[in-house]
Amino acid sequence: MKISVGRGSCGNAAGAGEIFELLENGVAALGVDCPVSVVGCIGACYLEPIVNVLSRNGETRTFVKVTPDAVAGILQYVASSQQSAAAAFEISPKDLENIETQQRIALRNCGIIDPENIDDYVAREGYAAIEKCVKTMTPEQVIEEMKLSGLGGRGGAGFPTWFKWNAARQAEPAPFPRSDSCEQTSARHDGSHKALNKKYIICNADEGDPGAFMDRAVIEGDPHAMIEGMLIAAYAIGSDEGIVYVRAEYPLAIVRLEKALEQARTMGFLGNNLFGSDFSFDIRIKAGAGAFVCGEETALIASLEGERGMPRLKPPFPAQKGYWQKPSNINNVETFANVPWIIRNGGEAFAAIGTENSKGTKVFALTGKIANGGLVEVPMGQTIRDVVYGVGGGIKDGKNFKAVQLGGPSGGCIPAELIDTVIDYKALAETGAIMGSGGMVVMDESTCMVDMARFFLDFTCKESCGKCTHCRIGTRRMLEILERICGGDGREGDIELLSDLAEQIKEGSLCALGQTAPNPVLTTLRYFRNEYEDHILRKKCTARQCKPLLTYTIIPEKCVGCTLCVRACAFGAISGEVRKPHMIEQEKCTKCGACVAACKFDAIEVV
Amino acid sequence: MTNQIKLTINNRECVGESGQTILEVARRHGINIPTLCQDARVEIYGSCGICVVEVENVPKLLRACATMAADGMVVNTKTERVYKTRQSALELLLSDHTGDCLAPCKLACPAQTDCQGYVGLIANGEYGEAIKLIKDRIPLPLAIGRVCPHPCEDACRRQLVEEPISILALKQFAADLDLANGDVFTAEVGESTGKNIAIIGGGPGGLSAAYFLRILGHDATVYDAMPHMGGMLRYGIPEYRLPKAILQREIDGIEKMGVKFYNNTKIGRDVTLDELRGKFDAVIVAVGAWSSVGLGCPGEDLDGVIGGIDFLRDVDLNDKVFIGRKVAVVGGGNTAMDACRTAVRLGADAVYNVYRRTRNEMPAQEIEIIEAEEEGVIFKDLTNPIEVLGEDGLVKAVRLQIMELGEPDELGRLTSTPVAGQEETIEIDTLIVTIGQKLDGVGLEVLKQTNRGTIIADEHTFQTNIDGVFAIGDATNKGADIAISAIGEARRAVSVIDKHLKIEQLTIKPQYLVKTDKTEADLAHKEKEARAKMPHRPANERKNDFAEINLGLSEEEARREANRCLECGCLDYFECRLIKYANEYDVHPEKYEGKMNHHDQKDDIPGVHRTPDKCVLCGLCVRLCAEDVGAGILGLVGRGFETFVNPAGDMHECSDCGKCAEVCPTGALMKQVEGKAVPLKK
Repeated sequence: MKISVGRGSCGNAAGAGEIFELLENGVAALGVDCPVSVVGCIGACYLEPIVNVLSRNGETRTFVKVTPDAVAGILQYVASSQQSAAAAFEISPKDLENIETQQRIALRNCGIIDPENIDDYVAREGYAAIEKCVKTMTPEQVIEEMKLSGLGGRGGAGFPTWFKWNAARQAEPAPFPRSDSCEQTSARHDGSHKALNKKYIICNADEGDPGAFMDRAVIEGDPHAMIEGMLIAAYAIGSDEGIVYVRAEYPLAIVRLEKALEQARTMGFLGNNLFGSDFSFDIRIKAGAGAFVCGEETALIASLEGERGMPRLKPPFPAQKGYWQKPSNINNVETFANVPWIIRNGGEAFAAIGTENSKGTKVFALTGKIANGGLVEVPMGQTIRDVVYGVGGGIKDGKNFKAVQLGGPSGGCIPAELIDTVIDYKALAETGAIMGSGGMVVMDESTCMVDMARFFLDFTCKESCGKCTHCRIGTRRMLEILERICGGDGREGDIELLSDLAEQIKEGSLCALGQTAPNPVLTTLRYFRNEYEDHILRKKCTARQCKPLLTYTIIPEKCVGCTLCVRACAFGAISGEVRKPHMIEQEKCTKCGACVAACKFDAIEVV
Repeated sequence: MTNQIKLTINNRECVGESGQTILEVARRHGINIPTLCQDARVEIYGSCGICVVEVENVPKLLRACATMAADGMVVNTKTERVYKTRQSALELLLSDHTGDCLAPCKLACPAQTDCQGYVGLIANGEYGEAIKLIKDRIPLPLAIGRVCPHPCEDACRRQLVEEPISILALKQFAADLDLANGDVFTAEVGESTGKNIAIIGGGPGGLSAAYFLRILGHDATVYDAMPHMGGMLRYGIPEYRLPKAILQREIDGIEKMGVKFYNNTKIGRDVTLDELRGKFDAVIVAVGAWSSVGLGCPGEDLDGVIGGIDFLRDVDLNDKVFIGRKVAVVGGGNTAMDACRTAVRLGADAVYNVYRRTRNEMPAQEIEIIEAEEEGVIFKDLTNPIEVLGEDGLVKAVRLQIMELGEPDELGRLTSTPVAGQEETIEIDTLIVTIGQKLDGVGLEVLKQTNRGTIIADEHTFQTNIDGVFAIGDATNKGADIAISAIGEARRAVSVIDKHLKIEQLTIKPQYLVKTDKTEADLAHKEKEARAKMPHRPANERKNDFAEINLGLSEEEARREANRCLECGCLDYFECRLIKYANEYDVHPEKYEGKMNHHDQKDDIPGVHRTPDKCVLCGLCVRLCAEDVGAGILGLVGRGFETFVNPAGDMHECSDCGKCAEVCPTGALMKQVEGKAVPLKK
């Protein structure tokens, strides 16, 4: 018998730590042979804490939303194998189906293996792919296999992975044209990069989109998949040094990655002369300080070099001149996690999944007004509807679907009328949104699209590195315009001003952050222009989110004069005699909504 | 080894070398691509977004500073798309850029005289340079330095500390010193164009027009009705304020530039506009406003009732002007004060000033009112003549209606209304009326007039309804104004005429400038220093003669006074690339008005004045210091909109080289200098 507890960041946040301890102590008290182990996130964050019990006959029972009270029941099951024990916490068939019908490649081990135990990974064909590469394939063949797979960069752009690898492989370490300054930069480094044929593999784990946590889940749940992916890339391009650039805000991921690296070294999967060949590779971790722009590869390199995280001009591309001016290949965590599967199963198997121009699967982080929030991995070619109403379980509280925001602050929204858009780089781009790294924020009828655009602009504005004029000042000005629209001070002409400025920011910014920052505004302007007009011209927020535009009034016919609202109002804005309709004084009303919550007669109208 | 490459920029074939950027190749071929953040000494950076260009078959705009030129590339630097992106970059930068491109004094001067410039030069002891700078805008500084009502001082920001700089006195100081050194300085005459322009009227406007025309190489001929040149400066300003001999020296200087003068030649009497139009390439009408406005009450035709300017003119033309013992002067302007004080000097026992409001509301300069009072002028505030009483056709007395002040009118002036039933009658021998001047339009009937009887001249081009005839000064539009306004118009009219004669396209574009409003609190840290007072002769002495009353500042006083200048105008104005481009790209940053960053001025880099609010974050200082100098003492702090430049490294590394200031495209970093850093056009 074996128990595993989902202890990704999501599980821990839901209380998995306490459950884990209770189970460990309980099992010890029972005196049965039943190890309690840790697994990562299976994706169903909305069901955390999740406990799996693998019984002697190979049957697995999954308990969800496990509370400390439920532990006794689970222990009873462990002790007695009684099916009735803890039955109330057993996963529903629908939820189970949602997990089991996903097609999991990148997340294949997440929530299943113990990320802190390399044996678990090895037991599921771990490190077989790199061994296959080293022992049976030339680097060119590896790249060819990647080409066959059609894997595109999962960080957002979907650029063919094989192409980057090939470019880095082909790159000749050439002397830098401005030798004087090269000397200067070199002086700040330890000197190992001076080796003439030095190349780097960099893993971009600087996951920064609000509402995106795919990479975190992979590192927390299956770090070796990423490590093995990096090994294969290193073998393909001819690199002996890898760096994982990971946000310092992911402490659990860093701890698990450190353990995984250590175990991989001990097991001989990292280090010199791997698998008896002359291929050597090791990986170090660089914790980034959490600047969104450092997810941009040239800014990431600047940050790695100890410089301010600001994008640099391309060309030269990192594959030609990257970290310390050496050829460097940068891929995202999810991209690397796909690689071992591709090598083991062949590029063609991967390419068999998906659409004409988007191959394989994609992991999405479902957040917002979705019933089943969490991570899902679906094949390319499914529709937004499949995701939202299929694995996503539809909209929370039975409300109506309004739109999804794809690609975080760099992406755009897709409205309800385009819900049948297929998940495919090209098809998504045509809507004005982007695939992005996989953040999918679901919005229902109570979401104000202007406010949503304001939220994302606020994010990019703060995360702009400050280098380019258009991004630095332009996003700020866009935010100010959106703030005044949401604040009821929108002016005629603001829509035009916003779209003009948006175009200029796209034209004038160097990196993707600036070039994509206006997307949330542009797409909401495209699909929800009427909401902007309502805010500006009619001073109304139909989603009732923008407080300055709301008016709270009491409907006299419904008000019974119970005085509940009077007591709820902290600002003394409501007055009236008992058993007679009350009134709200607009000057005093702060639109906090306390009266609406207090009223039992639905007598307060918000317009 | 370098390879030659050929590319097309703006349909021109350009040859470059591989490894050169588009910007470098374009520059080599004289094609200017604007940029704020590029410098050959540092790595390519590409932050400002202004050097963008379009390259055929490339969907994105490219930064010319960062894009390597390639063989066969087709580059366009002048498309609408390029223009818009550059414009928006500049507008965004300007929306977070504060300062004063030009000092308030310069902006207030109708002739845009660089007051900060010459005050600074005087402070530095560079008097010769100071007079040159003054004469760039004012051909008659000896006169203007004495009589100008100095809008510059009214605008001077030093008054937020205590009192404005004595800019007028400093101008007189520089001009007097120039005169004392021999002939007055005059600008160099331009190479002859063979064009000849007639100027009708030899007052400040006409003489200035002649001066500026000669600088451009055009011939100038001035016709004037009076026996001497100078116009109102001569016949409207009393000797004690502006001695004729001094004015004459200045006029002589203009004549020496090759200007032809014809006196006693009145338009419509001795010469006609048609004749002049036939003989000359252009005509400038600068006849002034020489007719006094009448009182409009019974008795105004009596002998002894005289217009103010007629009176002042007569005093200049005749040795003896009979005014009797008691004189009343009606009006509250500078001419009224001139008339009062002239009457005092002619020996009147009692000189009354009759004004419908009070001294506080008078348009005359305060110093004139004070000095008039010192000289014994009796101010009859809140009175208005309603009838002039006479005997045998001669003035005997004037009936005055007592007035009271009411609410401000739409112009903000307090209204004055009669107090019913209250009157006063004072006995007088002469009544001088200084309530306005108007055009004597004889001989100019073909020129269209406003309904107030002035010649209509376009406010930008000074063109009248008659082709080739331009009009400036008191005779036009709003009517009589101060001399410096006519001088300013003269200069602008000459530049229009110059273009007109050269058949060049005339574009009128308002100049874009960055300005701030300062309050006393902004300048609270400034130490107070007393304003220099113009020394003058005591009242009991000066009121008996017409000798000049102002004695002028000593050199020591002048330099001390000039050193009080706060140097409000940006020290980088003439080199600033931001303002240069702003005017090239017709910017309207007000549409992006929003939050602005603020950091106090600091001098924390040795030898450098730092004004962070002018920084455009081009990063040149940071990069040059790190990459070229190798000191690396500057860094970028913060993120996004709040990013700013700050010394970050070891200040001991700073070699005081000042390269950061040199490379700064705006006035954010300026090298410190001894004395005043006078921004001058190179």
